Amino acid sequence: MATLSRPIVKLGLESEGGSASPTPIARMRGWLAAWLPAIPLLLLVATCLIAPVVVLVVQSFTSMGESGLTLDLWTRVLGQRVNQDAIETSLILAAGCATITLAIGGPLAWLISRMLQGRRAFWLGLLNVAANFGGIGLAFAYMATIGSVGMLTLVIQGLGIPFDAPRQGSMFALVVAYEYANIPLFVLLTIPAMAILRDDWWEAAQTSAATRWIFWRRIGAPILAPFLLAGWLLIFTWTLGVYGIAYGLAGQSGATAVHLITLQIGTALQSDVLLGPGRAAILAMVLLLFAATSLLLYRTMLRRALRWL
Amino acid sequence: MAVDAATSRPPATELLGARRAGEATLSRVAKSLFFGAALFYLCVPMVAVLIYSFSTRWTANVLPDGYTLEWWQQTLSNPRIQSAFSTSVMLATLTAIIDIAVVVPAAYWSRVRNPHIRPVVELAAAIPFALPYIVIAFGLMQFSGIAAPQYQGTFALLVAGHAAIAFPFVYWAVDGAMAAAGIERLSETAEACGASPFQIVRRIVIPNISPGLVTGGLLSFAASFGEFAMAQIIGRSLDTVPLWSAEMIRSYSDTAGSYNRLAVVTLLTFLLLFALSAVVVYWNRGQTVRLLPGAGAARTGDGR
Repeated sequence: MATLSRPIVKLGLESEGGSASPTPIARMRGWLAAWLPAIPLLLLVATCLIAPVVVLVVQSFTSMGESGLTLDLWTRVLGQRVNQDAIETSLILAAGCATITLAIGGPLAWLISRMLQGRRAFWLGLLNVAANFGGIGLAFAYMATIGSVGMLTLVIQGLGIPFDAPRQGSMFALVVAYEYANIPLFVLLTIPAMAILRDDWWEAAQTSAATRWIFWRRIGAPILAPFLLAGWLLIFTWTLGVYGIAYGLAGQSGATAVHLITLQIGTALQSDVLLGPGRAAILAMVLLLFAATSLLLYRTMLRRALRWL
Repeated sequence: MAVDAATSRPPATELLGARRAGEATLSRVAKSLFFGAALFYLCVPMVAVLIYSFSTRWTANVLPDGYTLEWWQQTLSNPRIQSAFSTSVMLATLTAIIDIAVVVPAAYWSRVRNPHIRPVVELAAAIPFALPYIVIAFGLMQFSGIAAPQYQGTFALLVAGHAAIAFPFVYWAVDGAMAAAGIERLSETAEACGASPFQIVRRIVIPNISPGLVTGGLLSFAASFGEFAMAQIIGRSLDTVPLWSAEMIRSYSDTAGSYNRLAVVTLLTFLLLFALSAVVVYWNRGQTVRLLPGAGAARTGDGR
């Protein structure tokens, strides 16, 4: 690899030095040789990922009928009660879902990682199966389970217990449905990290008269914390951006449903002709800001976590 | 070591032992309850959808009033559902093919010739990883409106969009396979033996990274097949499986059996995606688990 990459380095030096600089055509050819195989991918990325984001950023700072950059759209959209509501609810939902995922998925991952081969394979298989449920299908599975005529609802009512199925657009319904996708994902992603905590350490701690509690507080938690928090951040970010499940569950009840950022983007595009695209652009920017922040935090967290590898 | 402690203070250990035994049964009960609840939570929705797809009417009693194969027959012979499935399969196949075609050369070149490609591609992979698809979809809709209005709402644009959001799956799988195969040394050796670049790719690179190609291809296929937000925003005139499902779930009518058909389609989608993930697991020799996404990148990034 070192020998193969040398021409590029030399090329860079020459163009910087400038004295014996190659002709522009030769330099162009060198650049092409270095980048040509990556160009299709870079083109795809530039046109379908980067340009769209740039367009949204620019649109959020422009306003109809005005020239130049302005914050007008930001203040107007963020001043609307509906949008404030949506941002607040989305954040609460995402933080709540991520915390529940951590509280259930963390212990689950730990216990599964310490199982014998056969049982572990069973649980990993089951989680893998469940992780394939998503989007509209998951929303429907929720309805078929504890919707108004869902299986579980009918069973509970059949036992003679008065039970009203939770409203489909309610927070409870969203959390239950989201967790079905979140927990398996979290466990599958964090199980490898559990192997980092070695069994000898627990034995070593025991010989130093540590209790299980002390072991977890002094050794287990500090080592696993960056991994688990990185997982929390991922679930937080992904929950913030979920659209399909929310559309399937909450979309139906229309005005009474919870306000979420993603759902508001969807409705803004479909119904609101006048302020629609502008409103969607600002809400998309809000999601972008959250995504960028948590990505940075995620990177930092992971870098700390990987010290132990 | 534990014996040492036991011999020096016998009464204390006896006490401790008794307490430990009590704790052990308690924690075993707690564990079984925990796993029982998890099993229940994971399995019941699948069972409910399965029964739903076979039931005649299921609104009053614990179990359906009767069972029938009618919904499966109706669904499988319904032309609209058939066309939705073929649209989705075509979309996902094209997505996987395009992603493999653009990612493999870039990943290969970044390993053997130009290491500057890697940070650029990794930064790009972070976009669909962190940014919600609905944001990317909306941006792409606005951008295409400015740059190429004639493509708005077309199948081609949706394919491009899906290829863009699914490429990280292919990149991570392919790049990992290249690292595992030691592709730098292999291609250096091949070059020393006088192989042309084309020969190297066809006879050295591709055969050696086939697990990565299969994994990446199937993951991007699955990502595209189940994708809803972008399909709704960009391809509104098209009919993919998620779009059909969304329409059904919104038009609730108990008598028309739309929910039973939705149950069938949900199960079919689920079975397809499950089969794909099973193949992925098989090709990776039972390694279902991987480190948090981006962990590999952060690791190599630190090393350099």
